[in-house]
Amino acid sequence: MAEIVGGFGVPHVPHFPSWVVDGHPLASEISRLYDEVGTRLREAEPDTLVVFTSDHYNEFFETVPIFCVAVAESAEGASDYDTIPHRWVRFDAQLARELHAGLVRAGFDVSMSRELALDHTVIGPLHFLVPDLDVAVVPVFVSAFLRPIPSAQRCFALGRAIRELLERDGGDRRVALLASGSFSLEIGGPWIDEGSHTGVPEPAWVERVLELLRAGDVDTLVAESTDDQLALAGNAGGELLDWIAMLGALDPRPPAFLESQPAFGHAYAAWPA
Amino acid sequence: MSIYAVDKLCRRVVHDAELRQSLERSPEATLRAAEPALSDEEVRLLLAGDVGRLSRLGANSFLLHQLGRFGLFGLDLPTHGERMRAEYAEERNARWGERA
Repeated sequence: MAEIVGGFGVPHVPHFPSWVVDGHPLASEISRLYDEVGTRLREAEPDTLVVFTSDHYNEFFETVPIFCVAVAESAEGASDYDTIPHRWVRFDAQLARELHAGLVRAGFDVSMSRELALDHTVIGPLHFLVPDLDVAVVPVFVSAFLRPIPSAQRCFALGRAIRELLERDGGDRRVALLASGSFSLEIGGPWIDEGSHTGVPEPAWVERVLELLRAGDVDTLVAESTDDQLALAGNAGGELLDWIAMLGALDPRPPAFLESQPAFGHAYAAWPA
Repeated sequence: MSIYAVDKLCRRVVHDAELRQSLERSPEATLRAAEPALSDEEVRLLLAGDVGRLSRLGANSFLLHQLGRFGLFGLDLPTHGERMRAEYAEERNARWGERA
């Protein structure tokens, strides 16, 4: 039986790594927020990090699985941004295969990827959170961009099923869970902010998500994360599903750390065990 | 409007440096040779950098912004933003009023 040593959530803005290097006005804030989460993640001493993320049309384009577990031995990235330091990532392929098979047996028609590259949604968070830690990764992809996207209820159930599989099989690993994504974000679309090519279409929704996360009220978060609400939240608003899937694998509780960056529609959070 | 052909071109722009160079060197010829094939209207709108109209016709706005990111068809990210906001000004006003 694996031990779940915590759940964590962060954004993956592709420019953040270079902003920190270049001394952008937000550099110290970005570093501090990632470190708040990264410190707690590293203290949890995970052997394996299950990363819930959503491909940005990089790996999955011609064919788009609703859910997919990467079962390769390793992968490199970031495939879409060479401004993020390049990195090879070791996968926990044995656990990935166990999770994939277990999910299919449990009724989740999850695809598997046997060869892939990782985009900024995985490499960016790893760059900040575990720059030197040799932790194995299991990427779990949730389709959040190209509609139709899965329901919040289904994503929560996926996380719950992953937890049950970890607790039943999973060996003696220490497993941490990481969600990568925003709550409200428009990239290049009609709902961008004035003076930018991105925007936060629904700041009130971001505040509502934060309120529910603070309260540990995941049931209400799932109920209110309707397809219409996620669409209003922007063309990347579905990334909240990655957080919901991650939360499905945890006991509902308030986070030990939660702080947002309202201008970006995202937050940093930690639920250590 | 085949939509998928435009989306696919934009996606390839991110991952294919040779395509980007070819689009910079010979934009129309490169678009005419694209697979899957682009319609005459799609070629015209791409060459004009009319991302607002392409989005209105169904092309993926996230993918369209990659053209501006890589400086193709006279676009950059601020220009992309301006054109997208202009195309959707009516909807933005209806949803947001003064914020738009």
